[in-house]
Amino acid sequence: MAIDIPTRTDQLPTSATRFIGKAVNRIEDPALVSGTVEFIDNLSLPGMLHCAILRSPHPHARITGIDVSAALALPGVEAVLTGEDVERWCDPCFTAPEGWGNYCLAVGKVRFVGEPVVAVAATSRYIAEDALELVQVEYDLLDPVCNPDEAMAPGAPLVFENRATNVIQSRTYTWGEVDRVFAEADRIVSRQFRWNRVGANPTETFGCICQWDLADNSLTCRGAYQTPRFMGIGRAASLRLPANKVKIISHAQGGGFGGKGGPRGTDIAALLSRKTDGRPVKYIEDRMEYLLAGGGQSWDRYYDAAIALKADGTVTGFKVRLVDDQGAGAEGYGTISAAKPLAAFTGNYRIEAAFYDLTLVATNRAPTYPYRGYGPPPHNLVLESLMDVAARELALDPAELRRRNYIGPEQFPYTVPSGNEYDSGNYAGVLDRVLELADYKSLRQSQAKARTEGRLVGIGVVSTVEPGVFDWNAYATVGVPGVGVPEGVKVGIDVFGGVTVAVGFNLQGQGQFTVAAQVVADYLGVEMNTVKVTTASTDVALPHFGQGGSRLGVAVTGAILGACEKLRGIFCRVVAHVMQTDPEQIELLNGRLQMKGAPAHGMSIAEVAGLMLSRSDLLPPGVEPCPEASFVWVSPNRNLPDDQGRCRSYLTAAAATHVVQVEIDRDTGQVAILGYYIVDDCGTRLNPASVEGQLQGGVAQGVGAALYEEYVYDAQCQPLVSTFVDYLVPSIHEVPMTVKDHLVTPSPIAPLGAKGCGEGAIHTTPAALLCAINDALAPLGLECRETPASPRRLWQLLHDKA
Amino acid sequence: MSNRKTIRLTVNGRHYEREVEARLTLADFIRHELHLGGTHVGCEHGICGACTILIDGSSARACLTLAVQADGANITTVEGLRNRETGQLHPIQQAFVDAHGLQCGFCTPGFIMTTLELLGENPDPTDEEIKEALGGNLCRCTGYQSILDSVRLAASRINTATAA
Ligand code: FES
Ligand code: FES
Repeated sequence: MAIDIPTRTDQLPTSATRFIGKAVNRIEDPALVSGTVEFIDNLSLPGMLHCAILRSPHPHARITGIDVSAALALPGVEAVLTGEDVERWCDPCFTAPEGWGNYCLAVGKVRFVGEPVVAVAATSRYIAEDALELVQVEYDLLDPVCNPDEAMAPGAPLVFENRATNVIQSRTYTWGEVDRVFAEADRIVSRQFRWNRVGANPTETFGCICQWDLADNSLTCRGAYQTPRFMGIGRAASLRLPANKVKIISHAQGGGFGGKGGPRGTDIAALLSRKTDGRPVKYIEDRMEYLLAGGGQSWDRYYDAAIALKADGTVTGFKVRLVDDQGAGAEGYGTISAAKPLAAFTGNYRIEAAFYDLTLVATNRAPTYPYRGYGPPPHNLVLESLMDVAARELALDPAELRRRNYIGPEQFPYTVPSGNEYDSGNYAGVLDRVLELADYKSLRQSQAKARTEGRLVGIGVVSTVEPGVFDWNAYATVGVPGVGVPEGVKVGIDVFGGVTVAVGFNLQGQGQFTVAAQVVADYLGVEMNTVKVTTASTDVALPHFGQGGSRLGVAVTGAILGACEKLRGIFCRVVAHVMQTDPEQIELLNGRLQMKGAPAHGMSIAEVAGLMLSRSDLLPPGVEPCPEASFVWVSPNRNLPDDQGRCRSYLTAAAATHVVQVEIDRDTGQVAILGYYIVDDCGTRLNPASVEGQLQGGVAQGVGAALYEEYVYDAQCQPLVSTFVDYLVPSIHEVPMTVKDHLVTPSPIAPLGAKGCGEGAIHTTPAALLCAINDALAPLGLECRETPASPRRLWQLLHDKA
Repeated sequence: MSNRKTIRLTVNGRHYEREVEARLTLADFIRHELHLGGTHVGCEHGICGACTILIDGSSARACLTLAVQADGANITTVEGLRNRETGQLHPIQQAFVDAHGLQCGFCTPGFIMTTLELLGENPDPTDEEIKEALGGNLCRCTGYQSILDSVRLAASRINTATAA
């Protein structure tokens, strides 16, 4: 029987929700503040060895010889892994389009600085690193290709010699009558933008412990895994194992933001375990390794874009040409990242036609991976910057230009030209609220005053949509082998009434265990502190995906509701049998299964579970003595993309408008954030404190991307960033304490009306800051079209002008 | 081996005597020899502050300190804050929970130890003083706003408790 998932909180079997919608304390926090959570490096196994990895110092070179004899002779060294082993035992990673994947460790040649070349397993990490110094590798240097221009030049060296080109993918999408709207436009605004590479940088790097069982030919990997089942399938493919012989145990993670998972590190540790007769091998990536070549470097992009407008400011068309430097291979799903803007290509606006020309290029930089937001943050910066240029040219207030173009609240569900369907929204309402919150008029007045004093003060008003809860068809748009994106949970009740929720993912920071406990406690009418949420390893877990694409809060809510609905059905049958009536006469309300109309007659959830587990004689025929239910939730109503990539790929569309005021210091190029205001609308807020945390965290990462962070490479493709001294993660001094408010326009189709909101402000903040900076520069006739708008870059701009 | 040395030190009120390699970092010693895993390591080059502990009452980076340098020291790590008997959280820890001052929690022990030092020296800090004190701790998740709230809350609770 089909299970209906409640889309509103008033459909829950409770007279009033006690936990959902409240900023309840998180169940995960007491252990985290006590320092007792088992992050992977806290775990040791008997006989465990430690892995260290020798990495390429060259961006492009042929390996002509490797001598590991001295390393092997070092006391404490148990095994050394080279490309020869890897070629014999592995396949290149399967997550890239055919032919563009790497082995976990270089085979024959190196393609980027930081690529693993040799790995050692020893009795301590210290000895393993000593051993690396004894390894001799000889290289024949090859010319690197350092950027897309070089890579696409005729006769360029090939990053992948099995391919005839460095272009990984090139295609165009046309939605609507783009040529016509541009031909008929009263005004066309076009600009080029450069978004330099930034990255996730969670405070915990990747780590794992892998153990190869030689008798069973099976593999167990414990580690900081974001998407456990997906990781398991990937390891099975690259290590040539049946998928059911790979078990992934996901540990709590010190942040993720997209790139958490370490397929290369896992494969290397697994192979070292295989080489040491199955001893467990731990690999902990260090920060320098992460910064050189870890997961999470993202968005190395060159944009050429235009919007077409009518004289009244109506935007009719949007064209984007994107050249994306994917680095040395497409192993990190960069192709999907470039295609994700399809989910919200035209943002909050009624733009009727659009065009996207996508060229993904391989170079000798490190491969790129997903980072929070996964594609749209740079895209939004392009669209919103063009809106601001247009507003300036039309002498319209940027807020007003946006308002004129918003999709109206009555137009939902709204299908954007690129195919995705937005579920609901109230963009003008969000704008009104944030302008009021910021006291926009007086911000403009203070700006005018500052300008008369010669100060460079600017304001950004930026609106974005956050697509939430992706599905398999988001992969299918770019032809990458995908897997389904379900979320399965099991809810069980023990003989004392304690509730256990088993999920397939582990903690990463967003608070999904707490959301799970809130939902199950409200549904079953129990206290949150009777709920235990636990992670099942992949050998027993239900199909699941885990964190990604602003989906998990919504997905886990749906899964729990489904499981609880099933439990309710079973419990009603049991109670009806005991009370000698029909199941239809029994209802669940506030934690009691009771007779409709006679609530005094009934049993608590705990009593029913206890009865089921202890008195089989009282069970109705066909009911098992098992007060447990599983449910695997997927987004309803997904469809296949058409030839222009159009499909309903994301279930929900959250929205936000940010207002920010900045001042640029003429002497240093430093940007000071004078005020930062946010109004967002992500439907039902399951835990408002967690939503705010996601927003503010996204602001911090947006500040980093817009002003400070950059993976700098020199002209020879050598990375110049390898520590936090060079890669500037914002501290408490750089991140503004924002003023926030919100609207609630529930999703009509998502569980409890909640919309995905985990990526949050990173969609909006970079655009808002760049728009504010350009507003500040406008009186000088200057524009900054490159991120990060670092002090050096802005100083240069101001200085060159002078 | 000559590069090994015996050290004696107190960690969270317990005395330890261990022979360690001269090059062993204090972070590795605390984490992997004493099995106190709450002192996290985020960069190993002194920038992120995740490994912050107190050595003789002053905050220090365990990743930049060698175990042998801690010979004779009195060290406090995050594990030393909770009441051992009752499990009750220290007011600073409780304030981080109540004000949602953490997400992944990896940076949190470092922030808590820095806050412990701050409030010991300055029980009623201004926002600017809090920011100054926390400027050497990186958090990639929270955007710091709830951390600032947590420190304010901890200070006000500790002050109310002392006043009463
Ligand atoms: S690990 Fe010590 S400061 Fe980062
Ligand atoms: S809570 Fe994750 S780094 Fe601070």
